[in-house]
Formats: sequence, C-alpha cells, structure tokens
Amino acid sequence: MMEIIRTKPEMIHQQVGWCGGCGHGIIQRIIAEACEEMNLVEDTVQVVDIACAYWSIDTLNCDGIAGPHGRVAAVATGIKKVRPDSNVYVHAGDGCCYVIGFSETCYAAQRNVPITMIAVNNGIFGMTGGQMNLATTLVGDKTVSSKNGRDANIAGEPFDFLNVIKNYPIAYAARGALYDPKHINDAKKMIKKGFTYQKEKKGFSIIEILSPCPTNWKLSPVEAMEKIKNENEKIFPVREYVDIEQGGVL
Amino acid sequence: MAERGGTFIQGESEIASMSMLWGAAACGERIMTSSSGPGYDLKQEGMSYLSSYRLPAVVVDVQRYGLGDGEITEGQDGYFIATRGGGHGDSRQIVLTPASVQECADLTYLAFDLAEKYRTICIILSDGGISQMIEKVVLPESREHDNKKFDWAIIGHKEKDAPKVKVTNLDRSMPYDEYDRLVKKTYKEMFDHEQRWEEFQLEDAELVLVAIGISSRVCKSAVRLAREEGVKLGLIRPVTVWPFPVKAFEKLPESCRALATVEMSLSAQMAQDVLLASKNKYPMYSLLTSKYVATPRQVVDYCKRVLAGEEEELEVY
Repeated sequence: MMEIIRTKPEMIHQQVGWCGGCGHGIIQRIIAEACEEMNLVEDTVQVVDIACAYWSIDTLNCDGIAGPHGRVAAVATGIKKVRPDSNVYVHAGDGCCYVIGFSETCYAAQRNVPITMIAVNNGIFGMTGGQMNLATTLVGDKTVSSKNGRDANIAGEPFDFLNVIKNYPIAYAARGALYDPKHINDAKKMIKKGFTYQKEKKGFSIIEILSPCPTNWKLSPVEAMEKIKNENEKIFPVREYVDIEQGGVL
Repeated sequence: MAERGGTFIQGESEIASMSMLWGAAACGERIMTSSSGPGYDLKQEGMSYLSSYRLPAVVVDVQRYGLGDGEITEGQDGYFIATRGGGHGDSRQIVLTPASVQECADLTYLAFDLAEKYRTICIILSDGGISQMIEKVVLPESREHDNKKFDWAIIGHKEKDAPKVKVTNLDRSMPYDEYDRLVKKTYKEMFDHEQRWEEFQLEDAELVLVAIGISSRVCKSAVRLAREEGVKLGLIRPVTVWPFPVKAFEKLPESCRALATVEMSLSAQMAQDVLLASKNKYPMYSLLTSKYVATPRQVVDYCKRVLAGEEEELEVY
C-alpha cells in the first residue's frame, strides 16, 4: 500500500464553487494548508470580497466575514483592533484590492496593520462577467468593456500595485503565480511568511498571486496558465518586494 | 478614548470608517462613528451592510444645511435620509433626536443599549445648533462592555470543534424565510416599544406644534410667549423619529384644531410622518425655515395666522 503524503486540508469542508480552471480554488487550498501547517485554523478570521473570492466563505471552516466590495482592508483593520491575537487574512480580487479598494488597501499599509492580504491578480472582473480591470488588464487584452483590446490612450496602462505599496512601512510584499507546482509551492511559502509576520506582530503583509480566469479570458485552463507565464508575468514580475527580515524594500 | 480603555481611529474616508466599524462590530465591540451632511452620505454603504447582518452600531449625524456641500451651519433637512433606512435595501434603524447637550449624552448611552437589544444601528440625529451648544452636562457612570458575550460575534480563538461564525449578507446562518420573519418582527417590536416623545403644555392647546432638535427649543419658548399673549399653543417633541411617536397623536386634546411642524428644510419632511401619525384628522401646516433657526416671535406670529385662517394648509409632494 502506498504511503499517503498529502491529503486535502480538513479546513476545506465543503465543495468549492469556482469555475473549472479558476485559480481561486488553488489559492484557497494553499491558504488552508498554510493555516493547518502553522496550527492557525482555530485562530483564523477570513475576510473575503463579495466578488469571486466570496465562495470561500462557505468552503473554509473558520470564522469569517464577507463584505463590501473594496472595503476588505478596512474591515480587517476593524477586526484586528478587537481581536489582535487572531490570524486575520483577506482573500480578495484585484478589483477589490487595487481599484475600488485602492485607498483602503493603501491606508491599511500606511497604518501598518498586522493583517495579511492575499490579492488575486487575474486581470479581469470575473464575477460581473469579464470587464477590464484598470490596474491589471494588459494593454491589448480583450474584455467585455474593451472589446477591441485595452487601449492605453483611453484606459491608461496597468500598473504594478506592489511598486506603490512597497513605499509604506510594511512587513512583507510579494507576488507569486500558479502556473506550475514550483510556483504554487513558492506562493504558499509567501503566504506562510505573511502569516508568520502577522503572528509576530511585525506589520502589514500583502501577497499578490497571478491567477487564471479561463472563463472570462475565453481560453482553455492550460492556455490561461501559458498566458500568465508568457505575458502577465512580464508586466507583473514574480518576486518579493518587501521583507522586513531582509532589510525592507528588496 | 485610550485613557478610558477605548480606541479612536481617524479613517481615511467615511466609507473606510464604516467598514472598520463593520469589522469591529462583527467582533462584538461597542462602536460608533459620526459625521455630517456629505460625510453621512458616504456612510450609507456600510449602514446597509451592517443592517444586513444585524450588527449593532451607533451612527451620529449632526445635520448641516443644504444640498451638496451646502452650508456648515445647522440644518434639519437630513430627516428623510436618517429615517428611511440606511443605504440600499429595506431596513429600519432607531433614530434618536437630542434637544440639549444633556440629552446628547443620555441618548448616546441609550443608543448603545438599544442597538445591542435589537441588533440594529441606532442613529443619533442631531443638528449643528444642538451639537455646538455649550450647556451643563452630567455624564452618566461609565460601564464595562464584554465583547465576548454575543453568540453571533467573532470572539477569537476557539476549540477545534466549536461552530464557526460567518458574518454574511442577509445572515446566512439561518434559512432566508426565517431571516425575513426575524427582521420584520424586529422592526415591528422596535415600532411598538421604542416610541419616545416629550409633551409640553398640550392639555388645552388649540394648535399643537411638532418639532425636534434646535427647532423644538425655539418652539418651547414660542409656546410660553404665545400663552402670555393669550394663544394656546402646545408642543410634541419627538425624541425618536423612527419609530415616529404615533402614540403621541392618538390622544390629542379635544381643544386641538390644527397641527404645525417647524422644520429647517425646504420641503416638509417630518410633517409627512405627522400626517401619517395623525391619520389626516387635523389641518396640517409647516413653518419651513431652511438654513435659518426660527425665532419664538416668528413661530408665534405664524401660529396666529394659522388660527386666523390666513395660512395655507400643507401640500404634501
């Protein structure tokens, strides 16, 4: 009989509801694995956005809040003030964290609130049917609100949010990806580092993850992963930006 | 705040402040926020979310006058936005209206208790006249709050098999129909049990004034002045404007010939609630003073004209 070396985390106690090939399920899984490996499940409070990340409110067996689009960093700030010993993390999309919630995310960083934000960069508004994301949709990418491809003359260019947030006095900022097992494992290490710094009260951490949305990109799951590797990663490099243990901005 | 064991956070926006409250309220903490006019608009999103999961909170709106940026002086034209539910969706919040500095303190204590009793937002609807007034005030005793006493709140570390709390829209811890019934029942209970008002020289009044906040202070003086001049005025001062004190209008004296509101607004707002409460039994008038605080003389002269049939009845639109 073969030895079982890995099982699905017990923390995931319900069937997930995301589309086939979506990266959110992988992200939820590595969050759950990180919580279990660090013995944090019973101390964890999840904060999810009302967009695609919302499904995680049902599937993870921990305390949680689902709510206002774009306000997750402020909600997490309120939770952390009352429950400073809880492991408070945000799982939300790039629309929530970088567009409508730009201000809330920046000011959670400005206050250096010890929460961990996991921002899913899939370059699109998934839940509402695939509109352009001003922060992350690549120039030329076709969406339902940029039918001929994003035009920088009209919509401006996407920008690397981690280059903005690294200027605040935070503990950790990094970008991971999901297009192969090595990168998935690296993204999980980044999340664990964020949780560790939160536990050690070192400050705010944000982990952005390049994630596929085959449904709205209108690509197969494999093609979507290849797009991330060949196109998105060139604009959004996978690396650490800030690590307080390595002297701050890297 | 820190000296009294509390926390004060200056939000980057009213939207963010309400969202921070949302997180803290979900953890069972006593929380409040305050703003005025345009800032109160921005709090509506959070108020809808808090109401959806029935989280207790105290929200203060010190009304300033006018649309847009308006004026930074007192006003009472925020009546509708305060009394018709916060934000999108169908909700009701208890709305308390102080008319003195002492009442600002007393009603704030009451607001926290009512918010927790009914799991609702409790709004303190003041105006720039009352809230910038200097008066003697006796502060009630401080009380401790246990933020782990609610079974619906996120209390921190739990044992492995303890049920988890999910704070979601429309409180999905129960079937929707059950939630629906519970919310409707709560609104009705608040309406039945939390109507508050003050009566002043009502017993033999021929014309009953209805006013809140700074206008009610003026009306009290107007009642005294009118009686010196032989005109029998009385006053109903709603202390709650949601629930509106309907019960106060069920036992008006037989001497009452008409009702008149005094409001700092362009259109008659509270008067619509008075019409509903009095079931259109009395001729209804409104003295609308926009950005100006009425004077007792102005109110008395207006009431004399009403009683002489020289003023037009209120047209509601």
